[in-house]
Formats: sequence, structure tokens, C-alpha cells
Amino acid sequence: MIPIENFLVLSAILFSLGMYGVLARRSAILIIMSVELMLQAVSINFIAFAVFLYPDQFRGLIFAIFVITIAAAEVGLALAIVLRLFRNRATANVDEVDILKW
Amino acid sequence: MGEVWLIPAIPAAAFVALLLFGKYLPRRGDWLAIGAIAASFVIFFPVLIDLLDNLDQPDFTGGGRAWEWVSLDAFNIQLGFHVDQLTIVMLAVVSFVALMVQVYSVAYMRGDPRYGWYFAMMSFFAAAMLTLVLADNLLLLYVAWEGVGFGSYILIGFWHERRSAAEAAKKAFITTRIGDVGLLIGIILLWREAGTFDISEIFEFAEGGGYSAEYLTLAVLLLFAGAVGKSAQFPLHVWLPDAMEGPTPVSALIHAATMVVAGIYLVARMLPLFELADPVALSVVTAIGLTTVMMSVTMGLTATDIKRVIAYSTLNSLGLMMVALGSGSVTAAMLYLFAHAFFKALLFLSAGSIIHATERQDLTELGGLSSKMPVTSVVFGIGALSMAGIFPLAGFWAKDEILNVSGDNQNWVVYVFMMLSVFITALYMTRLFVRTFTGRPRNHHAQEHAHDAEPMMTVPLLLLAALTLVGGFVAFGSVGEALGFPGGFGEFVFLEEAEAFHFPWDVAILSTLIAIGGIAAGVYFWSGEAAPARRAAQSLRPVYRTLANNYYLDDAYQWVINHVVLAGGAVIGWFDRNVVNDTAVDGSAGLGVFAGFGMKFLETGKLPNYALAISLGVIVISIVFLVVSV
Repeated sequence: MIPIENFLVLSAILFSLGMYGVLARRSAILIIMSVELMLQAVSINFIAFAVFLYPDQFRGLIFAIFVITIAAAEVGLALAIVLRLFRNRATANVDEVDILKW
Repeated sequence: MGEVWLIPAIPAAAFVALLLFGKYLPRRGDWLAIGAIAASFVIFFPVLIDLLDNLDQPDFTGGGRAWEWVSLDAFNIQLGFHVDQLTIVMLAVVSFVALMVQVYSVAYMRGDPRYGWYFAMMSFFAAAMLTLVLADNLLLLYVAWEGVGFGSYILIGFWHERRSAAEAAKKAFITTRIGDVGLLIGIILLWREAGTFDISEIFEFAEGGGYSAEYLTLAVLLLFAGAVGKSAQFPLHVWLPDAMEGPTPVSALIHAATMVVAGIYLVARMLPLFELADPVALSVVTAIGLTTVMMSVTMGLTATDIKRVIAYSTLNSLGLMMVALGSGSVTAAMLYLFAHAFFKALLFLSAGSIIHATERQDLTELGGLSSKMPVTSVVFGIGALSMAGIFPLAGFWAKDEILNVSGDNQNWVVYVFMMLSVFITALYMTRLFVRTFTGRPRNHHAQEHAHDAEPMMTVPLLLLAALTLVGGFVAFGSVGEALGFPGGFGEFVFLEEAEAFHFPWDVAILSTLIAIGGIAAGVYFWSGEAAPARRAAQSLRPVYRTLANNYYLDDAYQWVINHVVLAGGAVIGWFDRNVVNDTAVDGSAGLGVFAGFGMKFLETGKLPNYALAISLGVIVISIVFLVVSV
């Protein structure tokens, strides 16, 4: 059996990559992709712990499926927003969108 | 007769009606005000007869009903009216003089731009004054007490376009307020121990020994402070001479016959408490009264404004009443009050006629009016002789009663000063009469068209003069019995036991001789060109200046106001402006503005900034959590 540390390290690497993407990228599409990456890192964590702690139970895995579902819905919403943004501003660069500032 | 409450209620209703609809009524509603006070005067008679029928019943209250005003578990306040002999005397005086003055005012105030407002306020004042004398509990009395104070304030400042009138109104209100604070504290002190505001219940409680002697003394002295303010006793007398800025009928009603005697009434009403308290309380009353008498008679010698002289004579009379009360005699004080109301209203209203006719009120511009205004000069003379205490006018009987009382008390200091005051009173009343009505006119221009006033003004004068002539005889037992009373004044109004009228010839003859001496001296000093008076003023220059400047009391008070009150106020004002306002209120508001304005720049609107803030926040919280939990 693969030790749990491997999963955790993988999850941490994926999460950090996602976080870097969210902070460093300027394109809205890429930010959404990075958020997805972070969500999947969390999912991996859930599955790893579920299998590791309660191998004969199902409830940890449910969370992973739940996260995937939510992420899909969220991406739908986020892409719609980005689409409207692009229509209005002709850009998807988040640096240029600051209409909510003071 | 359960309709006592109508007596103050009718003028009160008239006030409300005049206030709301006065503009639309014919003649601006003066007939409504006069009709209301006349109705009160008429209702007074059944109340009087009812009282006379029930004199032998000790717990008769005149059938005044009581209203529940405040009703909490342990705190009930009943408002009600109470009729006894003291109340009856006051009701008679107030309603009759108010009626006379309002009739007189119709002619005196004609053409005034605020004619309707004048009558509305007269009704308000009458309602408050009648409530004051009828109240059966101290709380209602206090409310009415402040009501008459407010009415007085408005009416003194009736011609408030004139700065001196506005200042006088302010001075009167604030000066009496100083005493009123004492009155309120006194009432609260009495209530705190007894748990009731009802006057008769407080008496029962005090007679049962409910108050300790020191406590009661303090309480009655505080009550007396209220009386000192309202009745213009030393050292709060300074407002009354200035209050002459009001219309003359107002001076006659408020500052001679009714409001200023409210203090006398209060002390007379509460006299059982004064007697139960330490004897020092009554001594204070006597001392204050006597001081007022001596100061006012001397100031009356130098004042040149005709109304101010009469105002000083009012102070004189009020002081005499206080001396009577300090000697423990309600009878003497109330008899004087009764007589004084008529002859002092008469003096003021005749002075009003003079002012109306000549538009002058300074003695240096009057003189020789007796040929032009014969009726006025006769009634004024009657009033002045009554004030001086000449037989057989009302003032004679009343003043002798007070002299008797102070003589009976064997207090010779008081007695000697009283006799001295009789002399000076006669002196300055003679001066007033001589300088106004005899000699040659000093200002011909002003007197060209002077003549006796129209009947609307002279009829009240004649009625008051008639009462001044005969009013004093109520002191006689046979006169009282003929009118249906149990006897003379002393057997009707008394504190503990009825006293039959007694007339010690020695006192009467002595006081009459002194008064006649005063009149003779007055004629010598002031008749013609008043050369002896001028010489006296020259040779006694410092005395004259002191008197003419009212013993410098006004200057002393002004100094205190400037250097203590206003200086203290400046410190408090500085604290208020700089600490309370600028630092606390504006400061906290400014902090909010600054914080909001400064912080808003954190809202950049840029997604990466928010993301970074969230990430850093999570990292910081995680580190903190790790550190704390380990």
C-alpha cells in the first residue's frame, strides 16, 4: 500500500501550484483553472484520508464527489461571469477590471 | 357646593379659547376674559355661603373633588381643591381685583397691537392664581406657583420691544426662580418623610412628630425661600421695582394685589409647620420681613418714578405681612393682605390714569394735577392715606392689627422699627401725593390735555376706593356678624383659636400721631419747590446716593453675576466647547470619518489583491493556530 505521505505531498504540491496560479496569473480563465487545481488537491486529501482511516466506509469518498459537483457548477457560473466581462470590457485581464474599487 | 373647581377652570377655558380663536372674536375677545373672571367672582359667593354653613365641621373641605393624577403601587398623587377661611379671603381678593383690573384694562390697553394676547394672558394668570389658593396639596400649589410666575414674566415683558421691559421680565423670572428652587426642595423634603403632598395630611404627620425638629426647620425655611422670591422680600426684592415696566394694570393685579401675596399666602397656609419647627424659623421670617420694610420705606423716599414709589410701598406692605406672620398671627397678615389688595390696586390704577393722561410717570415732570384730574387725585389720596395708616381707612385697621401683634410679642426692637416705618411710610406717600397733585406743573406740555379718565377706568377706581374706605371695618365683630360671618375678621381667619377684635387705644393713637407727623413732615419737605427736601438731600449726600441707588444691591448682584456666575459659566462653557464638543463628540465622529476615509483605499477592486489578502490571512491564521495549539 502506498503510504499516505505520498498522497499528502501530491495534494500539497497541487494546492500550492493552484495558489500560485490564482495569485500570479492575470487571465481570468487561468485563475479559474487554478482554483480547480486547488479544489482537486483538497479532493485528493479527502480520498487519501478516507481510504487510510476508514477503508471499509464510503463517506469520505462522498465528499470528493461532492467537491467535483460543486466545482463543475462553480466553473459554469464563473465562466459565465468571465464571458459577460469580456463582452463589456473586451478583456479578461483581472488587473484591468477594478470597477468595485473605492 | 362641589363646583369649586369651576372657579379656576372658567378663566383657564377662557385662556384656551382666546389663544385659539381670539383673533376671530369681536373686540378681540376682551369680553370673554372679563366674563370668565366675573363668573369666577359670582361662583365665589355660593362657595363662601357653603363654607359659612359648615364652619363648625372641622373636616369640611368645600366639597372640592380629588382627581387621581399619578397612581403607582406605592406612589399616589391626588389633586384636589380645598376651601377654608384662608382660601376664601384669597379668592375674594383675587377674583374681585382681577375683575376690576380687567375692566380697567379695556380702556387702558385700547389700541394696543397685542390687545387680545393681553387679555388671554390675564385669564391665564387668573386661572393659575385661583388654582394656587385652592390647591389642597403642595404639588398642585407648586404647579400653579410656577404658572403665576410665567404669567408675570409674560406680562412684565408685555411691551418687549422695549429693551428695559424685556430685561425686567427676565430679571423677575430668574430672581423668583432662585426662591422657587428652595420651595421645590422644601416640598420634596416634606414629602420624603410624610409620603404625601396633601397639606392637611402633612400637618397631621408633623403634629404626630413625624419630622425631627431640625429637619422640619430646614424644610420650612426652604419653603420660606420660595415665599421670599415670590413676595419680593430682602434679599430677592430687587425684581419688583423693575417689574413696573409692565402695563400699569398688570402692576396693580400681579405686583400688588395677587401674585406677590402668594408668598404671604404660602407662609400663612404652612404656618402650623413653622410653629412646630424650631423658633428660629419664625424669627427668620420676622427678620426678613422687617429688613424688607426698612429698606423699602427708605428707598421709597428717593425714587422718582411714580410707579416705582408705589412698588416700594408694596415691598413695605409685604414686609409688614411677613412680620405679622413671623409673630405667628395669620389674622393680622390676612387682614392686611385683604385691605392692601384694595388700596394698592387703587394706587396703581390711579397711577395708571395719570400715566394714561400725561404719558409721564416721573415725579420731576408731574405736579399740580389735582385741578385737572380731581377724581383721580381724590381716590389716589384715599389710597395714599390708607397706605400711611390714617383712621378710618382699611390700612389703618390692618396696620394696627400688625402693630398690636408685634407689641403683644414684647419684641421691642421690632416694635420700634415698625413705628419708625409708619413714620417713613407716611412721609414718602405724602411726597408722592404732593409732588404729583399739588404745586405748579413742572411740565406744562405734558399736562395740557390731562383730564380724568373715561368711566371704564374711573368706575373700578371708585369701587376700589369705596372698599378702601370701608374694608377695614370687617375687623369689627358686629360688622362681620351683620354680613353673616361668625364675627369679625379675627374670628373668621385664625390659626388655632379665634381672636375677638381688640383695639388698644394707646397703639392706635401712637401710630396715628406718628403717621400724621410723617404727613406733616412730608408736606413741609416737598410742597411747593421742595426746597427743604433739596437741602436735606444736599447735606446728607452719601445717604441720598445710597438710597437712590437702592443700597447698591443691584450693583452688588450685577458684580456677582459678572464675576462669579458668568466667570463660572465661562469655565463650564470652555469645558463644554473644547472637551465635550470638540474632543468627545466631534472627536469620535472625526475618528469615524478618518477611519472610513483612510481604510477605503484598501478596497482596490483588483482581484489579485483580494486573493493575496485572503491567502495571507489564511497563512497567518494557520501559523497562529499552530503556535497556540502546540
